[in-house]
Amino acid sequence: MKLSKVFYDGLVKENPIFVQLIGMCSVLAVTTSVMNGLAMGLAVTGVLVGSNVVISLFRKVIPDKIRIPAFIVVIATFVTIVEMFMKAYTQDLYNALGIFIPLIVVNCIILARAEAFASKNGVVASAVDGLGMGVGYTLALLILSALREILGAGSIFDIQLFGPSFEPALIFIMPPGAFILLGILIGIFNSLRKKKSATDA
Amino acid sequence: MKETIKLGLTLFLITAISASILAFSNKVTSVRIAEADKIADQAAKTEVLPDGEKFEELEEGKAKEIVDENSKITEIFEGYKGDELVGYTIKIKTNGYGGEIEFMTGISTEGKITGIKVLNHGETPGLGANATKAYFTDSFKNKPVDKEVAAEKDPTGDNEVQAITSATVTTDAVVEGVNIAREAYNSKLAK
Repeated sequence: MKLSKVFYDGLVKENPIFVQLIGMCSVLAVTTSVMNGLAMGLAVTGVLVGSNVVISLFRKVIPDKIRIPAFIVVIATFVTIVEMFMKAYTQDLYNALGIFIPLIVVNCIILARAEAFASKNGVVASAVDGLGMGVGYTLALLILSALREILGAGSIFDIQLFGPSFEPALIFIMPPGAFILLGILIGIFNSLRKKKSATDA
Repeated sequence: MKETIKLGLTLFLITAISASILAFSNKVTSVRIAEADKIADQAAKTEVLPDGEKFEELEEGKAKEIVDENSKITEIFEGYKGDELVGYTIKIKTNGYGGEIEFMTGISTEGKITGIKVLNHGETPGLGANATKAYFTDSFKNKPVDKEVAAEKDPTGDNEVQAITSATVTTDAVVEGVNIAREAYNSKLAK
């Protein structure tokens, strides 16, 4: 299994948000600003790599019949550790992300990768898969939150971009605007992907 | 039956190891978390009551009286400049759009609101989260405590504060909290 292929799959070919369409609730909720999107993406990537590595390490030891509860305990432990450290060292981000940090536990991406990849592959490959999927997720969050923050609030990373005469389109800060932008992005991403695989073939 | 026991024990082992790791993480971070909270708290007190140099918790009996009457008030501190009492900092929790909003109000012994600071909130960035911005919190400064505070789009009266665009629930939550602090001051703390 080529590691670069594993990474590329996570980032592009099987991008969790744009292609697989999993883990969407958090995408819509935290992309109201680029800072939040980035923080969430990094937190999820950290948990993904950690849980993939641990589950892969113990894949031969965890009995098949109780694998789901076992995976969830591992994932929940990682998320709780991330939450504690964020509360201790990055309080502002912790307050900004609020309830969405503990909700990482039920983010489908993490359980999906544990079940589909980490429980069936070696530790290094699983770590790379976690990294690829995590970076793919973070990329999706960054693009969406940049669009939402620029169009909906006229700023990026809380830095105002336009003068006071700029009238932001508030709809993009709210859920309907998020859906609309997400749909457009999925369309663009997939048509680019199809073009690339057509030229590769 | 034997298999069930074996599975149960395996799960127990997994969760036991997990719990130990979590207990350890908690130990490593809890001191830092408590410290960070204390520093943020102290900074907030100085920000909402600039004349205050030293802050002391309000005497227990009096504080209990106020909290019993309104449970949304969570903490009251007296602010001193030297030996002189210059005002109070009152911590309040009200229900905003995305959960509870915890903020602090400073009221001077001259009967004026000296400032507010939002400490914790779950409001939406770009909308309710603007409650932390200066254009909103500054509009509360120097408002007298004898009249009820109200939010307007274009505040003119001396009891009117700035409303946050498209964030009525957040604005109302903060205004409600400030009025609670005002009333507590008027009925129990003013001389």
